[in-house]
Amino acid sequence: METVKKMAILADSAKYDVSCSSSGSNRKNSGGVGNGALSGICHSWSEDGRCISLLKTLYTNNCVYDCAYCINRISNDIPRASFTPRELADLTIDFYRRNYIEGLFLSSGVYPNPDKTMENLIETMEILRKEYKFFGYIHVKAIPGADPVLINKAGMLADRMSVNIELPSEKSLRLLAPQKSKEKIFKPMAQITQGLLQIGEEKGKYRFSQKFVPAGQSTQMIVGATNDTDLSIISLSQGLYDNFKLKRVYYSAYVPVNEGPNLPALIQAPPMKRENRLYQADWLLRFYGFKASELLDQDNQNFDMDLDPKCDWAIRHFDFFPVEINKASYNEILRVPGIGVKSAKKIIKMRKFGKIDFLGLKKLGVVLKRAKYFITCNGRYSEGLYIYPENLRNKLIQKKPADMQIKIFLESGL
Amino acid sequence: MKILVYENTFQGFLTAIYEAFYSLEKPAKIISKFDYLRDFQLQLETEVVEISVNQEKADKVYNAVLKKISTGTLSNLYYLFLSSDYDKGILAFYYLKFAFKKGKYTDNYLVDENVKPVHDIVWKVKQEKHRMKGLLRFKLLDNGIYYAAFEPDHDITELIAPHFSRRLGDQFWIIHDLKRLKAALYNKEEWIISDLTEKELPPLSAKEIEIQEIWKKYFKHISIKERKNNKLQKSFMPVRYWKHLVEKEE
Repeated sequence: METVKKMAILADSAKYDVSCSSSGSNRKNSGGVGNGALSGICHSWSEDGRCISLLKTLYTNNCVYDCAYCINRISNDIPRASFTPRELADLTIDFYRRNYIEGLFLSSGVYPNPDKTMENLIETMEILRKEYKFFGYIHVKAIPGADPVLINKAGMLADRMSVNIELPSEKSLRLLAPQKSKEKIFKPMAQITQGLLQIGEEKGKYRFSQKFVPAGQSTQMIVGATNDTDLSIISLSQGLYDNFKLKRVYYSAYVPVNEGPNLPALIQAPPMKRENRLYQADWLLRFYGFKASELLDQDNQNFDMDLDPKCDWAIRHFDFFPVEINKASYNEILRVPGIGVKSAKKIIKMRKFGKIDFLGLKKLGVVLKRAKYFITCNGRYSEGLYIYPENLRNKLIQKKPADMQIKIFLESGL
Repeated sequence: MKILVYENTFQGFLTAIYEAFYSLEKPAKIISKFDYLRDFQLQLETEVVEISVNQEKADKVYNAVLKKISTGTLSNLYYLFLSSDYDKGILAFYYLKFAFKKGKYTDNYLVDENVKPVHDIVWKVKQEKHRMKGLLRFKLLDNGIYYAAFEPDHDITELIAPHFSRRLGDQFWIIHDLKRLKAALYNKEEWIISDLTEKELPPLSAKEIEIQEIWKKYFKHISIKERKNNKLQKSFMPVRYWKHLVEKEE
């Protein structure tokens, strides 16, 4: 089969994996081609608005598993293709030299078994790293069930590794992916975490320590294929960040690709809004010092679709406010809706040189439309502002009520 | 209205700022010769002073900024110079005037009227620099040189050249700014900046079209049609850059 045909088939099979990040590695180019860019670089954006940073493809879309949600499951009648290690390595280099990509995102269907699959991925990486002296970014999947020796070997070659959890509960796994189990998925994850910790220790002892997945590990969960709640998803994320030292957890709105008794209907649109809320919450966990248990609880198990998680938290904890911009700590300022990490840092930097007022905040890029209800500057609320806590929710919900829009429409005389 | 016109080099830019500081009547505008020649309205003005490059005066400004203010401010000044902003000269003058009062804390005055406009422009230049590290596309010519044409908003060729000399250190390449008719040329050891007009290129290498086809195929197939969102795509990747993107060529 021609390479161009394989590319089409295997890109189609790989695209439901959302991760494309190329950040976290500063691998240097020593006498070959490529290097890591710590902040990551996007090279293009596809028509769905997602960034293309890596050549994201499968080694093969043949698979012995029959996971209900997956386009590549064995029972699906789709075109199948496989690269050879050499072919894929050549393609990576050809793309890289033209600056199409930051590197390779290498995943695969499991075929004929986990060990052989992992070996194919390793062989591809070895050609790249050793023969072609490629120092660009490689993200590789750890295949659950593969020999730990192989996983370790892969980690020595890659910049990032990931194992996709896909389904956040044992029950959902049993329902949709009966050949997988929690243990099988978490075992390689734990091994990677262990490897990272060990390298961390060695760094102090030796002058040159080997690199082992320098950009850390990530995972992905599908949203909306099962009835798992946002609370269970976000709690799991919290655990992964705390215990497994994960760099990123990705959320993928389920695109119905298969029919099945336990699956949502094929016509259903992917739950994009819900995916967005989960990402917002994920950011709150990683950069804003929130805990999953603060954002959701047994009484509120799913995120409010009308209001972002931070606003929602702020309304439910109105006694925490107002925060005085000129006195409050960084962590307190971070909790204000409409103030992000960048603005909060700017506030801390700027207030050493003079009092900050509302005009200053606006110039800094603070979204006052949301923030004004929760802050004071020099002891005062924004001028002319009256706050009725019971009405706050309506004020903060961004979308205009339909009749309101019609009214504006009529008044403008169009 | 007094107008200073400087030669379009960083030294010329700094010389003009020096003259602005030491002239009794403060200039209303400090603009590049490039912009001046395109602005017929301006050419009718009487008080136009053309400043020629003076290395000594430029060095004085350079060293004063370095010693009395900070390397950060100096770097901002350079990025400001590389921007295509029409008012960058006068903005630089008021920025430095403020900076000589505030010293090393200058860039902490984030919302000051002398500082913020400069920071905003510097941000735009840095943003484009970062974007181009991703969006630049090389094509392999049959003489073995990887050639990339682009038309950036700002004069960022020398800002991105170091990145590509580290990354693609074992291949010959040319980064060609078609707007400013200049290029960075790299010979596997070092890069230099040179004038380069738009002339006919050697033909593409035999393999080039094949690789481009595979890339286009990949680009098309990696998109999830159920999530189609052209507006989002355009917000990340402004349409003005599409002209030189292989995957966006028809």
